Amino acid sequence: MAPRLEINGLSKFFPGVRALDDVSMNVEAGEIRALLGENGAGKSTLGKIVAGVYSRDQGTVLVDGAEIGTLDEKAAGDLGIGIVHQEGSLVPQLSVAENIFAGRQPTQWLGQVNVRAMREQAKALIAQLGVAIDPALKVSALSPAQAQIVEIAKALSRDLRILILDEPTAALTLTETEKLFDVVRRLAGNGVSVIYVSHRLAEIFALCHSVTVLKDGRLAGTRKVAETSTDELIRLMVGRDVHFSRSPAGRKIGDVVLQAQNVDAPPLVRSASITVRAGEIVCLAGLIGSGRSEFCEAIFGARRRHGGSVRIGGTAIDPKGPWDGKHAGIGMVPEDRKAAGLFLGMDIVNNVAATVLSRVSSGANFSNRKAEALARNFVDELRIATPSVHQIVGNLSGGNQQKVLLAKWLAMEPRLLIVDEPTRGVDVGARSEIYRLLRALADKGVALLVVSSDLPEVLALADRIVVMAEGRTVGELPGDGASEEQVLRLATRYTASVAEVRNQADMAEA
Amino acid sequence: MQITQPLAETAERRRENLLVRIVRRLADSRELTLFVLVVALALAMSIVYPNNFPTASNMRAVLLNLAPVGMLVCGMMLLMIGGTFDLSVGSTLAFSGVWAGVVAGWWGWPAESAVLVGILVGALCGLVNGLIVTRIGINALIATLGTLTIYRSLTYVTAGTGVTPISDAFAAYGRAADPLFRIQSPFWAMLVLVLVGGWLVARTRFFRQFYFIGGNPRAAQLSGIRVDRLILIGFVIMGALAGLAGVLGAARLNSAVVNAGVGIELKVITATVLGGASLKGGEGTILGGILGVLFIALIENAMIINAIGVFWQGLVVGLVLLFAVSLDRFKTSGRA
Repeated sequence: MAPRLEINGLSKFFPGVRALDDVSMNVEAGEIRALLGENGAGKSTLGKIVAGVYSRDQGTVLVDGAEIGTLDEKAAGDLGIGIVHQEGSLVPQLSVAENIFAGRQPTQWLGQVNVRAMREQAKALIAQLGVAIDPALKVSALSPAQAQIVEIAKALSRDLRILILDEPTAALTLTETEKLFDVVRRLAGNGVSVIYVSHRLAEIFALCHSVTVLKDGRLAGTRKVAETSTDELIRLMVGRDVHFSRSPAGRKIGDVVLQAQNVDAPPLVRSASITVRAGEIVCLAGLIGSGRSEFCEAIFGARRRHGGSVRIGGTAIDPKGPWDGKHAGIGMVPEDRKAAGLFLGMDIVNNVAATVLSRVSSGANFSNRKAEALARNFVDELRIATPSVHQIVGNLSGGNQQKVLLAKWLAMEPRLLIVDEPTRGVDVGARSEIYRLLRALADKGVALLVVSSDLPEVLALADRIVVMAEGRTVGELPGDGASEEQVLRLATRYTASVAEVRNQADMAEA
Repeated sequence: MQITQPLAETAERRRENLLVRIVRRLADSRELTLFVLVVALALAMSIVYPNNFPTASNMRAVLLNLAPVGMLVCGMMLLMIGGTFDLSVGSTLAFSGVWAGVVAGWWGWPAESAVLVGILVGALCGLVNGLIVTRIGINALIATLGTLTIYRSLTYVTAGTGVTPISDAFAAYGRAADPLFRIQSPFWAMLVLVLVGGWLVARTRFFRQFYFIGGNPRAAQLSGIRVDRLILIGFVIMGALAGLAGVLGAARLNSAVVNAGVGIELKVITATVLGGASLKGGEGTILGGILGVLFIALIENAMIINAIGVFWQGLVVGLVLLFAVSLDRFKTSGRA
């Protein structure tokens, strides 16, 4: 008998990126298959292609032995393929029933929506999942787990054959996760094949039958969960060809600049501590959603801190907003340079001046001359490729935009510079230049805290690596000699013990 | 021949380029465009209607009439640079004028205190707007649409049909005219505001922060700019300016009218957008705003002299606004 889903030689190209490269896999009926991989390994892309969200560039997809042509989400739904998106696709202002039947509500005469029938059908669908949610409730009133279940109910059609779940537990608590797992197991028991996209190893061992690992868009291997180990999966996930060389090092490390202890900023930061010294580059590693950026925001003052202490150069600070963090000598280059970092419609001069308005002014007057001189310095120093300092920043390339963003924060001469994802969306050339810049800064005695999801980057830059998981700092490694596997093991260690924590919680409740 | 022909071509292209450059330069700077239009319109009017347009009394009337809008444009431009706006300015203007009238006319307080009370009432209205927008987080359109009707209603509650007459001492504040041009005080107050405000917004680092806020509020916040506090200050300034306009208007008529400033917010926003502000924020200058006011005032004046019905004014002003903004769309779409 043909497998439920058969994928042969699947490839997908995005501009400048090969997101999937010759991937093949088979999934049987009733099987729960995990798709595992690092951030950007292509696992979500694969799920979206099967569900018809993206088109494929090469390869074939067969469902129950029948080849499927190009399809969109609706056609995939008709074939019995459903997907629950990472971002969620529910409209919070509408009821559960309306969401489940979005665009295909049962109607009566004159196209009127038959509300009663719709609610009854919604109730029946949700009941299939073994839970009870009032279909008349608004989605905004639901817990994240209930919302996920509604998403699954939405994907349930008369004969659902394949269900794709894309990081469904990102927003869920442990008990909610367990509830979701029950639903998934029940579906699989009824013969539905589930593709479970995740990077949480613990969940894979708790839920799935088999696991396919992707690495940089290629198939790294498929294993039966019962016959593999955490170590083996991590080995499959890492070990790539690209490596950036470490600096020769020998930098002088000075006094402690940042000392953050037990920082608590719910819901994403539970208890995080870190120390950064002058002239030191500390990388904060961890999986997406582990609370790294939020921890940094809490240090800087862009996020309310509920507990713990932050000291800069030995002085305790309690920033009420980014202005206080800035005043204490902290700079923060945010992750999303377009939404949160740059003034895209303004020129380089104004972007660079934004953090140092008082320095480019004489008295109350903003001095264009001083601001231009400052911008010109940075254009030279950071080798920003631009025809003039009056170029609109939105017109620069990604790498040059990133440099302007760095310049904006270098201008204030910070003691501690936090850089969140320094090279996201930046080409390889600009990347090595940004590394050079960051190292030069550390050489000058600036304390650097770098958040990065890119493990080769972490290994190339860090003097020390601090790893976060589930809002906590869970371990530390020396930058020299650390391996990707060690970092990943720390990043997933906490989640690997999810089952234990859950048992403890259950015991406490009982 | 083969050599000279291309040369001639480049020379021709250069001439063409010069023309294109001038036109582009004109379209690039809204202030320059408006200035040229204002001058051209004034010249044309002077030639066509030498007896009606360039007369001292007509000029006085035009300048005095645009004074309240001109004052409000200063504040509105600041808010729109910061990416927000205030619809309640007309009601604030009336409310402030009525309170000044109540204080001077009914209670018999000195004229100076009435002026002060009027401006403070305006600032208070602005403060309330600002708090609603920044603290409660209601969008400025809804928030100030709400206070537009609230302040107008409070104006009726305060003074029913208005306060007439107020007092001679108070009226003197609005009627004092300079000896040379004999234009009354509201115009001079506006002129001072435009000059001082223009300098402040264009040059000082404090007001420069509004451009960053309008350009990208989140980036401004993360750059250490106190976004909420500055927006609040912007609303207070806007309110105080509406208060001043209301007080001077009431003084000039020696009457606090409850219907003062009805619909003025749309005129003010029209002039501000015409003057180069964008609803997205981050753009505009006070100079541009006041040129926008001047341009609209001249068009209205032209239509009155032409004896084209007042009913047509809105049509022309609306068309000019749409034209100006579509120029901008054209420019930005070319960039993106």
